[in-house]
Amino acid sequence: MKGAFPYLIRQSVRNWSILRLRQLRSPRYLVALVLGLGYLWAVLAQRHSSSPPGGPMPGPWLETLGGLGIAVAVAWSWLFGVERRALAFSPAEVTLLFTAPVTRRWLIQYKLLRNQLLILLNVVLWTALLPGEGGGGSSLRRAVSVWVLLTTLSLHRLGASFVRTSLGEHGRFGLRRRAGSLFLGTTLLLGLAWTTRDAFSALLAGWGRGLGGLITALEAVAASPVPHLLLLPFVTMVRPLTAPSGAAWAHALIPALFFLVAHFVWVVRSDSAFEEAAADASLHRAREIGSRGVAPAVPRLAHRRVPALLTLGPSGWPAGAVLWKNLIAVARTRRAREVTGLFLVAGGAMILITFFGDARLADAVGWLAVMWAGVLVVVGPQWVRNDLRNDLLMLDVLRSYPLRGRSVVAAEVAASSAVLTAAQLGLLGVAYLAFLGSREMELGLLSRTLLLLGTAIYLPGINYAGMLIQNGAALLFPAWVHLGAGRPGGVEALGQSMLMTIVLAAALALVLLAPTLLGAGVFLLLDSLMGLGAIVPATVGFVIVLAGEIAFMVRWLGAILERTEPLTVAFVHALG
Amino acid sequence: MIVVDGLDKLYGDVPAVQGLAFRVEPGEVLGLVGPNGAGKTTTIRSLGGIIRPTRGTIRIGGYDLGTDPVAAKSLLAFVPDEPHLFDYLTVEEHFRFVGRLYQVGDIADRLPGLLKELELDEKRDALPGELSRGMRQKVAIGCGLLHRPKALLLDEPLTGLDPIGIRRMKATIVQRAAEGAAVILSSHLLHLVEEVCTRVLIMHRGCAVALGSVSAIMASSPDFAGRSLEEVFLALVGQDATAEP
Repeated sequence: MKGAFPYLIRQSVRNWSILRLRQLRSPRYLVALVLGLGYLWAVLAQRHSSSPPGGPMPGPWLETLGGLGIAVAVAWSWLFGVERRALAFSPAEVTLLFTAPVTRRWLIQYKLLRNQLLILLNVVLWTALLPGEGGGGSSLRRAVSVWVLLTTLSLHRLGASFVRTSLGEHGRFGLRRRAGSLFLGTTLLLGLAWTTRDAFSALLAGWGRGLGGLITALEAVAASPVPHLLLLPFVTMVRPLTAPSGAAWAHALIPALFFLVAHFVWVVRSDSAFEEAAADASLHRAREIGSRGVAPAVPRLAHRRVPALLTLGPSGWPAGAVLWKNLIAVARTRRAREVTGLFLVAGGAMILITFFGDARLADAVGWLAVMWAGVLVVVGPQWVRNDLRNDLLMLDVLRSYPLRGRSVVAAEVAASSAVLTAAQLGLLGVAYLAFLGSREMELGLLSRTLLLLGTAIYLPGINYAGMLIQNGAALLFPAWVHLGAGRPGGVEALGQSMLMTIVLAAALALVLLAPTLLGAGVFLLLDSLMGLGAIVPATVGFVIVLAGEIAFMVRWLGAILERTEPLTVAFVHALG
Repeated sequence: MIVVDGLDKLYGDVPAVQGLAFRVEPGEVLGLVGPNGAGKTTTIRSLGGIIRPTRGTIRIGGYDLGTDPVAAKSLLAFVPDEPHLFDYLTVEEHFRFVGRLYQVGDIADRLPGLLKELELDEKRDALPGELSRGMRQKVAIGCGLLHRPKALLLDEPLTGLDPIGIRRMKATIVQRAAEGAAVILSSHLLHLVEEVCTRVLIMHRGCAVALGSVSAIMASSPDFAGRSLEEVFLALVGQDATAEP
C-alpha cells in the first residue's frame, strides 16, 4: 500500500510535466516562456555583473530583519488563519485515499511530499534571485538553506492550521487538546506585543532619522534580552542564508535542521486534527474546481444585507450586472468590512493623535499609509481578485449571456479596480488626516489636498491597467495563473508570486510609459506659460492616452474571451 | 426559430460534431439523444453560444450566433445539467442579475410570482450554498425562463430533481413550447424524450443518424416495426439490444 503513494506522485508529476511541455506547442505559451526566461536571465546577469565578487549576503541586519519578518508572518498565520492549499486534497484523492486502508499519518506524509514539489521549485527560484557569491558550493549551500527555511515555515503554517481547525471544531475540548501549541503561540504573541510596546519610543525616534535610523533602532531593540530570546527561533531559521563561510554555514544549519525536524514531528503527530482540517480545505478546493456533485460551500459572510449604493436596477448597461455581482461579492466578505472599519477607526485615531497626541507617531503612520498605497499599485492587482480570475471557471455561464466579450472584460476589471482604488484612497485618506497636525511636513495643506484629488484622478486608470494585465494573463495563460477564489499563497509559492509581481510590474510600466511620456512632455512644454497649472493639461493628456490603451486592451481581451474554450480553462485549472 | 446548418466542431483533430443540420420551429420540442460521447452536449453548448463551432452557422430567431451573438443570445436561454450559481448572490439577487442582463423591465412585478411558482419564496434570501441541489437547479431554471426566451436549450433537464420537480419540469417544457418557444433538450432518458418531444435527433459519434418524430423514425425501416424507442435507438447506434448490458 505504501508503494502506491510514491507511484501516484511519480506518475502525476510525469503526466503533469508531459502536459506542460505539450502546452509549449502553443506559440503563445512558447513565446511567453522564452520572453520570461530571457527577462529573468537579463536581470540575473545584470545583478551578478554589478555585485562585488565573492561578497556574501549582508549578515547581522538581514538576520534581524528576516527573523522579524518571519515572526510577523508566523504571528499572522496564528491570528488570521493560513493558506489551505497545502492541505487541500482533490475530490479524487478524498474519494480514493480517505477510504483506502491507510493511516492518516501516511496521508499527511503523502501531502507533505507533494508539497515538496512546489517548495523545490521555489528553492530554485530563490537560489537564483537571492544575492550572494556565484560559486557552485555557495549556490548549493544557499539552496539547502532556502529549502530548510521554506519547509520549516510550511510545516509551521500547517501545524497552526491544525490547531485553529481543531479549536473551531471542538471549542473548549480542542482547547485542552491543543494546550501545548496554544501556550507556545500565546507566549510568542504576548511577548511580541510587550516588546513592541516597550520599544515603541526607540523605534519612533529611529524612524525620525530615516530608514537607516529605523534599521539601527530595530537592531538595538532585537539585541535586548527578551526580544532576542523571542526572535531566536526565527533568526536561527534565517542564519544559514547569511552565513559568510562554509564552516559558519554548517554551524548555523544544525539548529535550523533541528527546528525543521521538530516541526515535522509536531505536524505528523497531529493526525486527528489533520482529518478535520483536510476535509475543510478539500471542500474549499472542490468548490474552486467546481467539481460536479459537490455542493458549494457557504461563504463566510459579514452580512447578508448590502449597502443601498449597490442596488441593481433592471435597465441600464447590461454588463453592469456583472460589475454589481462582483462588488456584492466583495461587500459581503468579512475582509471588506474589516478593512473598511479599520480605515474609519484609523482615520479617527489619526485625527486625535495628530492634534492631541504624539505628532511623530501620526507622521510615521501617515508615511506608512502612503507607502502602502503606492505598494498596492504593484501588488494590489494580485491581491484583489473579484474579476475574471475568479469568474473564468464559470466561463460557460458568462458565455451564455447576451454580452460581447469586451463588455464582460470591461465590467469584470472595473469591479476589482474599484475595490483596489477604494482601498488606496482609504489609505491616502488616513495619511491625509495623519498629516493634518504635522509641523514637519514641507507640503502645505492646499498642496496635500490637491495631491489627494490628483491621485483620485490617476489611480483608477492606473489600477484598471494593472488589473487588465492580470486578467489578460489569466485569459492568455490560464495554465500559469491561479484561477478561482483566493490566491496562491504560503511560503511555498512566495518565489512564484514574486516572479509574477516582477513580470507584471514590468508590463504595467510598459503600459504607463506612453501616457507618462506624453503627460511629462505636455507639462514641460506648458510649465513656463502656466506654471503648476500645466499639470491640468498634462493630466488630460495622460488620461486620454491611457484610456486609449485601455480601450484597445479591453477590445483585444474581449475577442480572446469570445474565442476561449471553457473546457480548456476547466482542464488546465483541474491540473493545478 | 433555431436553424443549424453544416455544424462542425473539432477539438484539435478530433471531431466532436460533424455536418449537423436541422431546424426547430416555434412550438416544437426537439430531443437530442445519443450514447456518451455522441456530441449532444457539444451541440447544445454550441447552440447556447458557449462553444464556437469550427464550421457552420447557427441562427436564432434569424440572428446569426457567430456574427450577431448579443441579439441571438437575448432570445435564448440555456439551462445546464449542473446549476452554476454565484456563491455570493442570494436567490432573489440571481433573478435581479439575470433581469438586468436581459433587460427585463418588469422584473419587480414578476419576481414574487416566479419565486412562488418555483417554490423558492421562502428561500429568496438564501445563498446557493444553503440550498439543496434540486433547489439550485430550480434557481438555474428560473434564471433561464425569466426573460421569456423564444428558444430554450436544456441539457439533461431532469438531473437532480425529485419526482415532483420532474413532473413540473416536464409540464414547463410543454407549456413553453405551447407558448411558442422552440425547445431543444438533450437527455439519456428515452421515456422523457418520447413523452415531451415532438421530434428526435439521434446522434452517434458526432453525426445525426436519425431525425424526425418518434413514429417517423419507427417507420423509417421495416426492421423497426413493433420495437420500442430504446431498441430502435440501440440499433441505430450499433448496439445489439439483446446483448448483455
